[in-house]
Amino acid sequence: MNKSSKIIDPGRSDRLRFAAWPHSPDDCLACGLCSSLCPASGIDGFDPRKVLRMVELGRIEELVEARWLWLCTMCSKCVVYCPMQINISDIVRSIRTLWDREKIPGDLHTGLVRALKTGNVNALSSQEFVSRMQAIADEIAAEPGFEGFTVPIDKEGANLLLTVHNKLVLRFPQDMKHLWKVLYLANEDWTITSENPEGSNWGYFNGDDPAAKILVGRIVDHMKNLKIKNLLWPE
Amino acid sequence: MTRSGLRKWYPESLRTFGTISVPELLVKYIKEERIKPEKSRFQGLATYHDPCNFGRKSEMEFGRGFYDEPRWIMDRCLENWVELYPNKKYQTCCGGGGGTLTTPYDRERTFYGRKKMEQIRAAGAQMFVTLCHACHGQVNDIKKTYGMEDLDVKYLWELVLECLQI
Repeated sequence: MNKSSKIIDPGRSDRLRFAAWPHSPDDCLACGLCSSLCPASGIDGFDPRKVLRMVELGRIEELVEARWLWLCTMCSKCVVYCPMQINISDIVRSIRTLWDREKIPGDLHTGLVRALKTGNVNALSSQEFVSRMQAIADEIAAEPGFEGFTVPIDKEGANLLLTVHNKLVLRFPQDMKHLWKVLYLANEDWTITSENPEGSNWGYFNGDDPAAKILVGRIVDHMKNLKIKNLLWPE
Repeated sequence: MTRSGLRKWYPESLRTFGTISVPELLVKYIKEERIKPEKSRFQGLATYHDPCNFGRKSEMEFGRGFYDEPRWIMDRCLENWVELYPNKKYQTCCGGGGGTLTTPYDRERTFYGRKKMEQIRAAGAQMFVTLCHACHGQVNDIKKTYGMEDLDVKYLWELVLECLQI
């Protein structure tokens, strides 16, 4: 591939596609502040300023193949320092939206598909999820000071909805206990749900807005169907 | 994401229920004396890390980052804690967010975290407290690589719980 011909051909810049984006890459002064402070700069060729230049030059085919695009955490430190206030995180996420879903590295797309289909990234049945939650609750109830502890599930009219982080369910179930115990000791009226219990949203990470909307909508449905008064922000 | 998503796609729902963040909830419990943490539990030096989403990104998107609440809680649980530098809006990301923990790029993610680990080392902290599952997972995962196996990585609510008399 002749890369230099791509670079000098302004006709490749796809302005329509980026018209809806919050900032034009034209705004970039190429000062390099973003690249200087980004902890991911230089890893496998990642560099936030380079991303902006590639967008400006219309080199989208390369951006939707570049695995280093997934090294960015979208932490937005570069956005805070950018003298032109270009939202580089938004641009990275918008490029991720353009990726072929099947080519997304790791579990970010496949996990999202499982969450959409089964209600959770771990693809547990509602019954199995509930029995795992109850097993953790039983362990807490065996500790001094927590006698009679139970985990409220689908409790109508509860004061607080707690979403469950997928990572804790299978890999770190012991870490679920800390917050549950605090809620118990504070005499909180809380609940988790047996269906669609998660709060983390992988559609945010991989740029899939339609999926992200469905996941957020599930939380809205819980609040409405169970008449819960307050939502604890999941992340 | 849930907060952005609600505002973007379901704004009317925000008029039908309230919302609260974990640090706000813990502050509320302590102020209402529903829980009473005591400072005598830990003597070693601790530090607090601002997660991108609770701090900088919340400030940029919603006008206010949750900087003060976690610090108010740290003050009520610990005699001895210090800030990381830089912090709050200018904090350095740990490298575990944005979905990176689910990618196969473990070596790259570990290298990304070097700046965070240097900060923690420079602060001399034995305990690292944060609010975010990704930050917690990342620092716990990479601390060995940086020779910091003994660093005690805690969720803020875990610290609060351990400071209660039960």
